[in-house]
Amino acid sequence: MEFGFTEHQEKLRKEIREFFSSELPEDYEPDTENMGKEVQAFMMQLKDKAVKKGYYVPGWPKEYGGAGYTEIDQGILDEEMGYAGVLWPDFLGLHLVGPTLMMIGTEEQKKRFIPPIARGETVCFEAFTEPEAGSDEANVQLKAVEDGDSFVLSGQKVFISGAFEPNWLFTLARTTQTVPKHRGLTLFLVPANLPGITFRPLPTMGGGRQNEIYFDEVRVSKEYLLGEINRGFYHAMMVFEFERRMTGAASRGKRQLEELIAFCKETKRDGKPLMEDPHVRDTLAGLAIQCEVQRLAGWHSTWAFAERDEIGPMPYDLSNYYAKKWAAPHAKAMTDIIGLYAQLRTGSKWVPMMGRLERMWKVTRSMHAGGTFEVIKIVLAQRGLGLPRIPAQLMTAAGEAIKKGSKSA
Amino acid sequence: MDFSLSSEQEMLRNEARKFLDKECPESLVREIEKRRDGYSPELWRKIADLGWLGMVFPEEYGGLGSSVLDLAVLYEEFGKAMFPSPHLSTVVLCGLLLASAGNEEQKKEILPRIAKGDLILALAWTEPEASLGSTAWEPAGVTVSAVPDGNDYIVTGTKLFVHDAHIADYLLCVARTKREGPAEEGISLFLVDAKSPGMKRTLLKTTAGDKQCEVIFDTVRIPGKNLVGKLNGGWGPLFQALQRGAVMLCAQMVGAGKEILKITVEYAKTRIQFDAPIGVNQYVQEHCTELASYVDGCRFVTYQAAWRLAEQLPCDFEVAIAKGWCSDAFEAACLCAHSVFAGYGYTSKDGVLPLYSRRGKTQQLYLGDGPFWRKRIADALDTRTFQKPKGKALGLWKGGPEDEIPAWKVWRREDLQEV
Repeated sequence: MEFGFTEHQEKLRKEIREFFSSELPEDYEPDTENMGKEVQAFMMQLKDKAVKKGYYVPGWPKEYGGAGYTEIDQGILDEEMGYAGVLWPDFLGLHLVGPTLMMIGTEEQKKRFIPPIARGETVCFEAFTEPEAGSDEANVQLKAVEDGDSFVLSGQKVFISGAFEPNWLFTLARTTQTVPKHRGLTLFLVPANLPGITFRPLPTMGGGRQNEIYFDEVRVSKEYLLGEINRGFYHAMMVFEFERRMTGAASRGKRQLEELIAFCKETKRDGKPLMEDPHVRDTLAGLAIQCEVQRLAGWHSTWAFAERDEIGPMPYDLSNYYAKKWAAPHAKAMTDIIGLYAQLRTGSKWVPMMGRLERMWKVTRSMHAGGTFEVIKIVLAQRGLGLPRIPAQLMTAAGEAIKKGSKSA
Repeated sequence: MDFSLSSEQEMLRNEARKFLDKECPESLVREIEKRRDGYSPELWRKIADLGWLGMVFPEEYGGLGSSVLDLAVLYEEFGKAMFPSPHLSTVVLCGLLLASAGNEEQKKEILPRIAKGDLILALAWTEPEASLGSTAWEPAGVTVSAVPDGNDYIVTGTKLFVHDAHIADYLLCVARTKREGPAEEGISLFLVDAKSPGMKRTLLKTTAGDKQCEVIFDTVRIPGKNLVGKLNGGWGPLFQALQRGAVMLCAQMVGAGKEILKITVEYAKTRIQFDAPIGVNQYVQEHCTELASYVDGCRFVTYQAAWRLAEQLPCDFEVAIAKGWCSDAFEAACLCAHSVFAGYGYTSKDGVLPLYSRRGKTQQLYLGDGPFWRKRIADALDTRTFQKPKGKALGLWKGGPEDEIPAWKVWRREDLQEV
C-alpha cells in the first residue's frame, strides 16, 4: 500500500499548480455553465497555452500527441484542474471521443480525427440523450437509414450540454429497427455543420445552456461511422466508462470547502469569526470527511483502472456514487452557513463569495448529467453486487399493460 | 498510489482468517460474551504462539518489528471474526505506549511478557463526568489525581469504561499531576499493579456485552519508578496511543463491514417475498449499495491512516478522518443491513447481524466518537486556506452574464427560428 506520491509525481503536481496559478487571473470564477463571449474567449486562449505546455492530452499515447503520463499522472492533472476550477471547452472530446476513437476507430479515422482533438481545435458534444432515451439509453430513436455511401439521420436529441459552439456531434442512432433495441444502434461522429442539423438552446436553471438538436434528413457519410454497425450500444457502454473516470469532483469540493473556510475566517458575527462557531466547525469537518472519502474513492478507481488487465465495465466503482450522493447535501450544508445570503446572486451588492455558493446550489440540482444517481445505484447493485434484476420481458409486459390501460381509459 | 496488500500482508490475512474461522466460530463469540472473563485464555496462548501479541514490538523486546499497517490487516480479521480478546488494550493501547514512552527497564520487564501471552494490560483513561458527550478523550477530562508522597504517588479517583480492567495484571492509569496551566500539560501515566491495595474493579453491563469496568482508585500507592514517560508529559504519547487504537477499531469495522455486506447481499438474493428474491426491489438494492459505499469508505480512510501511521508521517488529519467517518458510517451500514434483514436481523438467537451491530456501538464510542474527531478535523482546517491564482485580474466575472444565454448560434434552418 502506498497513499503518497513519488517525487516525480509531486514535482509534476507542483508544476501544474504553478501553471494554472500564474495563468488564471486572481478574479477567476470557476463556472462551467454560464459564460459570456469574453470568458469563452479567455478559456480558449488558456486552452491553447495548455496545449503548448503539454497539459492538454498528456495521458494519451505519444503517437496521438500525448506526453507519456501514467494513469496516476493524469489523475494528478485532473485533480489540479478540478481545484483550479478549469474545465476545457472540449472536455468531452478529450475524455470520451478521443479514447473511443483509439479503441474502435479505423486507422484512417484515427489519423484524421484524433490530431485535431489533441491540438485543441475541436469542440465535441455528447449527443446521446433523447426525449425517450434518458436513463434508457438503448431506446434511442434517432433514425439512421443506409443510402449508398451514407446514412440519412432523422430525429431529435435533447438536454445536450455545451456552451461552446461544437464542430462534432458524438451520437448514437438506430440503424436497425427489427432487432431487440440495444442491438440496433450505431455510433457516429457527425460534423456539426452538416445541412439539416438545427440547434435550439435550452437555458438551464444554472444560468447556462443546453441544447436540443434536430436532425432533418442529415446525410452522413459512412466515414463518420464508428466501430461496428449495430454495436453502438455496447460501444456506448464503454464510452460511459470513460465518462465515469472524470475524477475532478473531489478536488472541486476541496476548493469549495477551502473558499468557504477562508470566508468563515474573515467574516464576523457578534464580534467573532464564523470559524469559531462550534456548529460551523462541525459542519466544515463533516464536509472535509466526505471530501476525503470521495478523494480516496477517486484514486482507488484511477488505481484500479491502471492496474487491471483488460478494458471492460468497472461496475463496482464508487467514486461517481459519492459525487452524486453528496453534491446537493454539500451545497445545502455550505449555504446553510451563510443563511439568508444564500439566495443572493452574482452581481448583487451584498452577495458573499461572488455568488459561488448560490451558483453551486443551483448547479447541484443537475446531478443526473452523465447518468442519474438512481441508474448508478442500479448498476452498482446489479452488476457490482450481483443482485437480481427483474427479467426484461416482465418489464416490457408491465410497460405494455400500462400503455394498453391508458388507451382504454 | 497503491491500494493493494503486499504478499506478506496477504499471507498474514489468510493465516488469520484460517485460524479464526477454525478457532473463533460464532458459537465461541456467543459463549464468551456470557462469560465473566470475556476472552479465551487458551486462544490467547495460541495467538501468542502465532506471534500476534508481540508482532508490532521491536525485536529486542520479543517482537517481530511489524508495522501498524500489518496490524491493521490482522485487525480487519479480528473485526470479521468478532474475536473477543484484550488485544487492543494490551498490545495496541498499553504495549505500544510503553514501547514509545516507557524507559528501558519498563520495556524489558513488560513487553516480552506481553508477547509471550503472560500479561494483560488495560488503559484506565476515561472518567464519569467527561464521558458525558464527546469530551471523554479531551485532556481536561482527566481529573483522577496522582499526588507525590516520598518516592511514591498516591492515586485517587474513579475511571469508567475501562476495557478489560477485570482481567488485567497492570493498569496504565492516566492521572492528573498538575492542575494549573493548560490541561494537556498536567497529565502523567502510571503503571499500576492490579493487585495494589485500594483498587476496586467492577464490570459494567454494556450493549456489546464486552468487558468494560468501573475502576476505583482509593488512595492507591504507586512506586515512583512506575511513572511511564515524563512527569506531566503524558498527553503526547497518550494521544498517539489514542490514534493507533482508533485506527485499529476502524480496521475492525472494515472487516465487520465487509462481512455484513456479504451476508446482506446474500440474504437479498435468496430471501423470497412476493414470489421473488427481495433483492429485485430497488429499495432493497439501495440499502445494499449504500451499505457498500459506507464499507468501502471505511476501507479507504482506514488504510490511509494506518499507512501514514506506519510510515511515521504526520497523520492527525487522516486519523481523525478515519475514526470520524468510520464511527458514524459503520452504524449507518448496520442500519442498512437491519433494513434488509428486518425480523431476521433483530432476533438474536441465531442472527449474526445483532452481534455485529451491538459491537458497533462500542466501536463507535470507544477512543473518540464522530463529534470528538470532527473537532480535531476542524482544528486541522484552521490552517487550511484558499490561495487565489496569481494572474492579473481581468474583470470578466464581475456581475456575470447570468441572464443571457451564452453566446453562439448555429441556426441552420430558417423555419425553426421562432425561438
